[in-house]
Amino acid sequence: MYGRGIYALRDVSLVVEKGEFVFLTGPSGAGKSTLLRLLLRQEIPTEGSVKVAGRDLAKLTPNQAQTYRRAVGFVFQDFKLIPSKSVLDNVGLVPRVLGATSVQQQRRTFQVLKWLGLQHRMNAFPLELSGGEQQRVAIARALVNEPSLILADEPTGNLDPDLSLEIMNLFRDINSRGTTVLVATHNRELMRHVGRRAITLDHGHVVEHS
Amino acid sequence: MTAHWFTYCLEEAFASLRRQRVSVVLAVLTIAAALLVLGGFLLVTVNLDRAVSRWSAAAEFSIYLADDISPEQRVALNTLLEGHPAVASREYVSKADAAVRFRRDFPDLAAGLADMPQNPLPASIEVRLNPANAGGDALEAFARLVSAAGGVADVRFDRRWLERLGRIASGVRWAGWMLGAVLLAAAVLTVATVVRLSLHARRDEVDIMQLMGAPIALLRGPLVVEGILYGGAGAVVSLVALYGGYVAARGRVLATLGTTLDAGAVGFLPAGVAALLVVIGMIVGCAGGYLAARHVR
Repeated sequence: MYGRGIYALRDVSLVVEKGEFVFLTGPSGAGKSTLLRLLLRQEIPTEGSVKVAGRDLAKLTPNQAQTYRRAVGFVFQDFKLIPSKSVLDNVGLVPRVLGATSVQQQRRTFQVLKWLGLQHRMNAFPLELSGGEQQRVAIARALVNEPSLILADEPTGNLDPDLSLEIMNLFRDINSRGTTVLVATHNRELMRHVGRRAITLDHGHVVEHS
Repeated sequence: MTAHWFTYCLEEAFASLRRQRVSVVLAVLTIAAALLVLGGFLLVTVNLDRAVSRWSAAAEFSIYLADDISPEQRVALNTLLEGHPAVASREYVSKADAAVRFRRDFPDLAAGLADMPQNPLPASIEVRLNPANAGGDALEAFARLVSAAGGVADVRFDRRWLERLGRIASGVRWAGWMLGAVLLAAAVLTVATVVRLSLHARRDEVDIMQLMGAPIALLRGPLVVEGILYGGAGAVVSLVALYGGYVAARGRVLATLGTTLDAGAVGFLPAGVAALLVVIGMIVGCAGGYLAARHVR
């Protein structure tokens, strides 16, 4: 609940199984992003609970929350890349801040960039890349720590239909490796193409499971 | 892993320094100004202490003898001085010796002394004090004991004004610490503001690192290290400025106090005090950095 009695989400009860690919959909303001923020532990619910792998996220201490986030990859509509760092450094920042040795950093970063077809762009800076490339770099960054859960908030919102399809196929590949994927989108065409479970939200309520 | 994170914090802090040069100069100069004031006071008091110490070592205790002192009183006085722990050595100055010294030290007044019907200068015993046993109350007690001895006309010693000077030095030192503390508190706030600007400049990066699960210490670390770098740089700047000021002032001080101070008595801050200033600067920077960094959680 936000201030003055306004609920961003209310009476929402849903379960996502491990290894599942689920779409969150609904109009703007439906509560999709809020749900993802709760799962990233950027917000704490005022009522009820959010549990991931049996752990109540509201009860985590700040340090425990940081440890939890290491098992979660995130992808945003606006990519959230650091413009002053190269592709290699943007992706390599994750293992670096998590204490990997420089050999481990380089190996993991190069592997994931290669898998996403970005190895030839690793010395480029974000602003030198196309939108699709930037989003693939963001996905590489989300994957480099081999998370068990990927959260994506409108990951194709800034991309044309072909690139959007390419990105969704990437998420499908990621999911096929066993990673749980939650994608918030209002692009029904893409959802139909991928063909996975969709949860529709509206005004903070779940209105449809399909 | 700790070394790896330390390297990361250093790299990010230096990158931030390069990014916002004007603010960095402001923060460094603020710390430098505060430390310059504190260091200036310390420089003055260190030299006052040094001078007091030198003058104390050379301090004399003069016992002026009555003209009519009897041989028995003279023997009793010598016996008293002989065994007293405050006395390091002593020298008898006769009335004639005192007149010779007077003529030598004050040649302009020598003629006046010659015109007098008889030598008015008293005989005296000049006592060189033992610093270990002639401080404060012990010296006062010794002075009372000697004054009460028969045949003693007066007792003079220059330790009193030296102690007064020592108290002045102590007061100046405290004033320096108090003023320095106020200025350093202001420097902490300036550093915190500049580091906060740096935090805003890399807010996206910090947010992303938070979402990656970076340890909180690592999110705050670069900001605290940045503050420490400001503090260290400010301290070095203040020491350089202080040394420049010292070199410029040293000649004038010696010219003014040349008769009472030799060149060896005036010196720059000892290495330990200079190092202390650098440490204080770094602590100030660290405090400013932490003030800014505690908003990251």
